[in-house]
Amino acid sequence: MSPALPFSSPDSEARVTLRASAGDTIAALATPVGRSALAVLRISGPDSRRLAAEVFRRPADQIPERRPVYAAYHDLAGNSLDQLVWTYLPGPGSATGEDTLELSCHGNPLIAQLILADLFSRGCRPAEPGEFTRRAFLAGRLDLTQAEAVMDLIHARSERALAVAQRQLRGGLGQRVENLVARLLLALARIEVYVDFPEEDLPPEDRDLVRAALQEVLRGTNRLRATERSGGFLRDGVKTVLLGSPNAGKSSLLNALVGRSRALVGPEPGTTRDYLEELVRIGPHLVRLFDTAGVNPAPGEVERLGMAKTLECLTEADLVLWVVDASRPSLELDPVYADQLRPGKVLVVFNKGDLAAGFIAPPDLPHPTLVVSALTGLGLGELGERMEQAIERLAPTEEGDEEMAVNARQADALRRAGACLGLVLDGLAAMPPAPIELVSSDLRGAVDALGEITGRVDQERMLDALFANFCIGK
Amino acid sequence: MSDSLSTVYEVIVCGAGHAGCEAALAAARTGARTLLLTGNLDTVAQMSCNPAIGGQAKGQIVREIDALGGEMAINTDLTAIQFRLLNESKGPAVQSPRAQCDKKAYQFRMKHTLELQPSLRLFQATVTGLLFESDGAGGRRVVGVRTNLDLDFRARTVVVTTGTFLRGLMHIGQNKNEGGRLGDFSAKTLSASFLEAGIELQRLKTGTPPRLAGRSIDFSRMEPQRGDANPTLFAFHDTRDAGALFHVEHGSPAGEPLREARLGWEPGRDQVPCWMTYTTERTARLVRENLHLSAMYSGEIEGVGPRYCPSIEDKFVRFADKPRHLLFLEPEGRSTNEFYINGLSTSLPFSVQVEMVRSIPGLEKAELLRPAYAVEYDFAPPTQLYPSLESKKVENLFFAGQINGTSGYEEAAGQGLMAGINAARKTRGEAPLILGRHEAYIGVLIDDLVTKGTREPYRMFTSRAEHRLLFNHGSAELRLRGHAREGCLVSASRLARIEAKADRIEHWTSQLERLRPAAGETGVGEGTWADLLRRRASKGEAQGSGATEIGPHGFLELPEVDRAEVRYRIVYAGYLAREQRQVAKLLEVERVNIPLDFDFAAVRGLRAESRTKLMETRPVSVGQAGRISGVSPADLSVLLVALEARRRGRIEDQTDR
Ligand SMILES: Nc1nc2c(ncn2[C@@H]2O[C@H](COP(=O)(O)OP(=O)(O)OP(=O)(O)O)[C@@H](O)[C@H]2O)c(=O)[nH]1
Ligand SMILES: [Mg+2]
Repeated sequence: MSPALPFSSPDSEARVTLRASAGDTIAALATPVGRSALAVLRISGPDSRRLAAEVFRRPADQIPERRPVYAAYHDLAGNSLDQLVWTYLPGPGSATGEDTLELSCHGNPLIAQLILADLFSRGCRPAEPGEFTRRAFLAGRLDLTQAEAVMDLIHARSERALAVAQRQLRGGLGQRVENLVARLLLALARIEVYVDFPEEDLPPEDRDLVRAALQEVLRGTNRLRATERSGGFLRDGVKTVLLGSPNAGKSSLLNALVGRSRALVGPEPGTTRDYLEELVRIGPHLVRLFDTAGVNPAPGEVERLGMAKTLECLTEADLVLWVVDASRPSLELDPVYADQLRPGKVLVVFNKGDLAAGFIAPPDLPHPTLVVSALTGLGLGELGERMEQAIERLAPTEEGDEEMAVNARQADALRRAGACLGLVLDGLAAMPPAPIELVSSDLRGAVDALGEITGRVDQERMLDALFANFCIGK
Repeated sequence: MSDSLSTVYEVIVCGAGHAGCEAALAAARTGARTLLLTGNLDTVAQMSCNPAIGGQAKGQIVREIDALGGEMAINTDLTAIQFRLLNESKGPAVQSPRAQCDKKAYQFRMKHTLELQPSLRLFQATVTGLLFESDGAGGRRVVGVRTNLDLDFRARTVVVTTGTFLRGLMHIGQNKNEGGRLGDFSAKTLSASFLEAGIELQRLKTGTPPRLAGRSIDFSRMEPQRGDANPTLFAFHDTRDAGALFHVEHGSPAGEPLREARLGWEPGRDQVPCWMTYTTERTARLVRENLHLSAMYSGEIEGVGPRYCPSIEDKFVRFADKPRHLLFLEPEGRSTNEFYINGLSTSLPFSVQVEMVRSIPGLEKAELLRPAYAVEYDFAPPTQLYPSLESKKVENLFFAGQINGTSGYEEAAGQGLMAGINAARKTRGEAPLILGRHEAYIGVLIDDLVTKGTREPYRMFTSRAEHRLLFNHGSAELRLRGHAREGCLVSASRLARIEAKADRIEHWTSQLERLRPAAGETGVGEGTWADLLRRRASKGEAQGSGATEIGPHGFLELPEVDRAEVRYRIVYAGYLAREQRQVAKLLEVERVNIPLDFDFAAVRGLRAESRTKLMETRPVSVGQAGRISGVSPADLSVLLVALEARRRGRIEDQTDR
């Protein structure tokens, strides 16, 4: 990519106006959403081979055909999301007549959603109700007598999807998106009026006003997107920090939760010098665990560096597991750290319970407590449950009802809207300013993306906003 | 051509306004035997409102008309008295040419063109009704027209372009006059003919400001607005046949001396300024105090007026905080002293109009030559049309122009051109020419009209086009050359020049992306010429002609219009490529046609709401179906399956036989 190409827009954010074409690659969950043992994801379209190559890290010309393969799925950030079984079927011999890719991952809905979201980021789009079957029919894979069944199926699916969507839109979500659309249209009107009415006696163009308004909309878009099932947790995992004195058993606890020996464990205090992170599943949630250097009241030089990083982790934590050695319980903590321990986000974990029979946690702590043993596995099941509960209490913070949480398709639309808005804001801030018709083109991309959530936004509505706010007409 | 009344024309065009002239010329130019009927031959191609052509989006439409063999562009170029390129400081996609015209010269030249057009007959008579016959399947088709002279004319197709004349009613305060335009008649019986055929009619309203005597205006109190020194023209003169401009292009066999010279002058010569002034507090007070006398505000008018062209009453009421409103005085021609006062449209009584005009700086002593008035008229909601502009209710009957609910000469002319082309094609049994939304403003215009309809007089804005970045005015000929070729809409020699131009532009666009300036040749940066152009653009450096132009030798030799197009494609490459990808995606459904006899009621799995909408609109492609509000992507899926099932059913039927 050459650096100075101001008017070249990124490819992946193309505006999708009609969603019935066969040229693009679609993805969807093929099994019903729920906690079944396996979730099957289906991908169909010309990009299937490329996607297989990317996520399973194989050369595109070495994708096994028609045979199940067991491998780790890597998301765009390089994380391994799951170990799963996948099968690649080249067209026209597949069900849809196109190249297809089928993934059977663990039944955890979170994992399936994570994978879907990653596929969307890689250029797939969510399939319409019944679209796989439609493609199969149009590709001649189903015969004429099945056509009516296909139509009934599409109908039934879309009715159901519609019902779900309407229930959601009746809740706060519809209003929130509608509100964002209205503000976008007003901003667009403020731009378009100078394009379409250059001869009018208009107030001077105020790009700062537009920019401020759009920054607001972008924030709103991001906030909404973050409600996607426990919000940003979905993409990044719940950031959970293991904190405690040296030798308390933090690294041991991480290994126990991860289920393998990930962190170095040692009998000497100060084993962990730098933090390390690992993704684990706790119930339906994805958790990003951070093992940190122990907090020592009298640290040496190297320890001091490690502890600075511990503090950094702590300030960004969604959840803190304060690990205390139950055989030598001391709850003293430097105020720099203690100040970060706000109630609601802390669990006090008394470790080495095996060495402290009859230990009872002090009752006056402002945080919930429990006793475990990383060594024997004592209390680890309960720890998982307590973490799950804590995460669910954390999850949707804002006006936090279920209705508000967006689904993967809506989150994808919000993501594209956000990307378009990013381009618009860059364009408005550029020096010299980007050509206004290009800014407008990206802004329309954002409107169209949001329109996929609430229903197509007619251009006429922008004109309504324009004529309501500007006196046009010589 | 025989003068016998028994002649069956291929195309009859009713009305010789901007739509009718283009319709008649387009039909006749493809060889159809055509009759153009007008109630008054002296008002052919009259500009009923302001004497100007072009402007935002409209200027692009005029260039598209030229690319498709129409007349409006060249007629404007040769009779204009001022040219200005709007949005010159913005990107090429949103720049539009605009011209002030000599109103009478424009009409004379157009009339002369019509008179000389082979295969076209011009006749003065008012159409009072349509002649129908049964199509044998419960519907009817049009077979001719009846006129006020009790003469009937028969035709295989009829194009109706009657503008605001259908039950036209003009209002000046409480005063009412019947007519489609001040001084003209109203077509009353034709509406009955439409209703009889089941064509629904509704009312719209528009208005026009007073006209003033120039000698009574004090121009020293106003700011002049002058034309561009280097005018941007509407017609593509670079590909036009040489020598065809100032003379009689059609009708004089080669070698014969020219007996007539068509009116017109070298484009851009002796340009005439417009003048700017403003309303005052006194104007505002006069309007407010007399609001109850305004036809619009006293409830006299039922039709809906356009929001983008509000009356002065509307402006002072709806934008009460705006202290003053800009007005333009536009000359109506070189050989007249009459001025049009743009921005002062009103339906206030004449006495108030006089006071109002005289409250404006420079107009203290102004004499009004004609009053402002509002006009209400019937229009036929255009959702009753196919994208070919043929009626869904009456076969062989086409509609174009203001009768379809549009406003503006350019919008009318664009529709007239398409209706004329398609009426002629219908008589030859050819499929209609339908421009896509991705190809031209005319395509957007007609698709909007027939798919969504309109509640106010419809005017084109660039923002209505999803793909306006592809619609820079200079590319009209390149964009539409496939249709021009396929429909034989321009001469073979012009087509060859258009193709050559397209080749040059494509060649140099890819060359500049490939070639690198020799070291030291430009002094700045690395990369190809294209990179260099983009870098310069991002720094906001001037592009284009003269000393600022850069590029390899051969490129600099190209005509400026070619270079401008190459530069546009290079500097905007990223965005243009994105548009092209979106278009390619859209075309997949746009190209799936829905047969006219397709039975939406029999499609299983459509939602009830969508079914109703589809049956009402009867889209001709899955793409059009998708633009109907309330039709969901799932409905399109069902439709696609049903269409495929039907197609396969047909094949099975055939193999069974
Ligand atoms: N008996 C018993 N020993 C444990 C338990 N958890 C950890 N240990 C031991 O305690 C010692 C320290 O464990 P680590 O996991 O390295 O402790 P840490 O908190 O990470 O220590 P630093 O990295 O130095 O801060 C090791 O020898 C472990 O084997 C437990 O539950 N029971
Ligand atoms: Mg450790």
